[in-house]
Amino acid sequence: MEQSSAYEGQPLHEPKGWWGRYVFSQDHKVIGLQYTCIALAIGLTGMFLSLLMRMQLGFPGLFESIDAGSYYQDVTMHGMIMVIYLLTALFLGGFGNYLIPLMLGSRDMAFPFVNMLSFWFYLLSVLILVSSFFVESGPTGAGWTLYPPQSILEGTPGADGAGIILMLASLAVFIIAFTMGGLNYITTVLQSRTRGMTLMRMPLIIWCIFLATFLGLLAFPALLVGAIMLIFDRVLETSFFMPEIFKGGEVLDYGGGSPVLFQHLFWFFGHPEVYIIALPAFGIISELISCHARKNIFGYNMMVWALIAIAGIAFIVWAHHMYVAGMNPYLGFFFATTTLIIAIPTAIKVYNWVITLWNANIRMTVPMLYCLAFLITFLIGGLTGLFLGNVAVDVPLSDTYFVVGHFHMVMAVSPVLALYGGLYHWYPSVTGRMLDDRLGKIHFWITFVGTYLIYFPMHYIGFLGVPRRYYSNEQYDFIPQSVNDLNQFITICALIVGAAQFILLYNFVVSIYKGKKAGSNPWGACTLEWQALESPPGHGNWDVQLPVVHRWPYDYGLPGATADFVPQNVADEDIT
Amino acid sequence: MTEVINNEKEKFMGLTHAQVFMYLLMTVISILFLFITNAYLFRMNFADWQSLPMPTLLWFNSGALVLASVGMIWAKQGAKSGNPTNIKIGLVAAGIFGTLFTLGQVTAWQELNAVGYFIASNPANTFFYLITALHVMHVLGGMVAWLRVSFKVFLGSENTATEHTIGLLGIYWHYMLLVWALLFSILLTT
Repeated sequence: MEQSSAYEGQPLHEPKGWWGRYVFSQDHKVIGLQYTCIALAIGLTGMFLSLLMRMQLGFPGLFESIDAGSYYQDVTMHGMIMVIYLLTALFLGGFGNYLIPLMLGSRDMAFPFVNMLSFWFYLLSVLILVSSFFVESGPTGAGWTLYPPQSILEGTPGADGAGIILMLASLAVFIIAFTMGGLNYITTVLQSRTRGMTLMRMPLIIWCIFLATFLGLLAFPALLVGAIMLIFDRVLETSFFMPEIFKGGEVLDYGGGSPVLFQHLFWFFGHPEVYIIALPAFGIISELISCHARKNIFGYNMMVWALIAIAGIAFIVWAHHMYVAGMNPYLGFFFATTTLIIAIPTAIKVYNWVITLWNANIRMTVPMLYCLAFLITFLIGGLTGLFLGNVAVDVPLSDTYFVVGHFHMVMAVSPVLALYGGLYHWYPSVTGRMLDDRLGKIHFWITFVGTYLIYFPMHYIGFLGVPRRYYSNEQYDFIPQSVNDLNQFITICALIVGAAQFILLYNFVVSIYKGKKAGSNPWGACTLEWQALESPPGHGNWDVQLPVVHRWPYDYGLPGATADFVPQNVADEDIT
Repeated sequence: MTEVINNEKEKFMGLTHAQVFMYLLMTVISILFLFITNAYLFRMNFADWQSLPMPTLLWFNSGALVLASVGMIWAKQGAKSGNPTNIKIGLVAAGIFGTLFTLGQVTAWQELNAVGYFIASNPANTFFYLITALHVMHVLGGMVAWLRVSFKVFLGSENTATEHTIGLLGIYWHYMLLVWALLFSILLTT
């Protein structure tokens, strides 16, 4: 061990010059910011695509440039961008990078160079993805699930050009980036905790990011295998997934493959992916709720074990996405049961958040507003999940707008609310200045109310049996005019909510220069990232000595202390 | 801030950073091969599956990979006993046999291709090429790490981390051998 500690005690890598400090930086904080900026930029693109879709649904034919093909391309790219390139990257690459070393009292990630590579591979994957907009016949329009055979057969947008290949290649590069980052996060959490920071003293968000990373590392290989095999089928005309296909009376070269095999590989990744996004959101909410309600989090141990249970069960529910693909009824029963069981640890978490709020000294700050909004939204999205988790109810609702409403509530709006709460909460740590509170509240209310006006009606449209992914609802007798009116209303709301996001962007940029000075710990939080020597923390994060941790991260309202919080690095005898 | 104190850390089971990283990496790679073999075993039940004959060359390649691993053990022993000559002999042997394995695999592909077992003509062929290629890519990753360590050993001065690093590199190479042994036995028996 002597050898290894000498090996690891190497002095910190000092950045060289402007390029080394801000561009090819190995500092986890800069890398976290780079991830955040790129993810937000591509996320805005994803939002723009969703508005194009909404324009077509609300006002069909208004834009001549939107035809069926480009509509499917918008649907596909919107889904893929939001799930993978925005939320996964921002939660783990952005928040993970920024918070893990700071909250654990470490100087940096365990492998700063690999960490930097991770960001550049991520950027490369985004560039490959964006480049598919500019190739002939455009990006793939196969739906974000990329199901073969249609995703690689002529007739699907992007299938005959480079679109689908670029999509799959981009995913492969993203997975490499994620693996490099993920190995780093886990090594750092296991190895680089400062003295006293035991695993059961880690802030819950670190537990969440840690477990989400585990999920990613175990789930992404399935997608990688699926992507590589699909590229083979597309480029080399092999038949992993391709059955015998007759087209215009002619037999294609394919034959014998199984499209369902791809579905299994995809959803073995796809379902844990939901939790890769949800767990960091849970973590952010746990931190914010405790801090802004000035009360210790209820049931820390239970929270950790619930997270571990969720992470474990997340791997045995994937086929609930495939009920309508044809499945042995016993298998369907198994997956329906596991799907319902996962509601138990999730409910434990929700109850614990609510109990944390009980009798608390709640401060209605912008982050707290986002927490409350998250709780309600996640609950509603979760409850509609109970409908869809049951095979018998899922079959008629499958592929309707009910599903769109459900998953947007539970894995789009909820994580984004947590994400915004987190951005408002940690912005002062990054910039040393506060975001404007009034603009923050305006942005919050428009976003919160607006998203309900967008997604709530979709549940009703879904009950009417209106199918999702349809480019036009005009020629179907079973779709009443009221659906079209509702679609117009949803589109108008979506445009307003879309425009409101620029308030946040404006707030972000202006507050860097004109925001109120934050001081070192504006929210009075106990966790270590607010106890650094400088604010914002400098390279290396800490003074010559690392902080020593004496307590758990939620000591709010400790009896005998004058302040209503005691930071983690304060010893019992130093409490005043 | 030139001098920093970094050694007050909570460690996980007394492992070093690099060990944790390596074990995790091997776990992820195992998952990757688990999925691909799963898909293989799933797909082979379909009617159009026609197993292809395994080239004899693969046995020689397997032997080369075993010898590469022996080379790594040699180097590890050299590092343990502080004998730089043995480190160098072991590393060179590992490099040569690793390269032989890689070239051998490529030759096996060419052999199969030459007698008409094309990649797209049967799913068994496709899987064979895909699985062996994925394995070779991971061996090449090991070669890159081998290059790094060899540069350090041959050009650098005494490094306290040598035993640690060579040990880890060796573990990865043994692991690649283990993966190959499992993949090869599946390919042989199905």
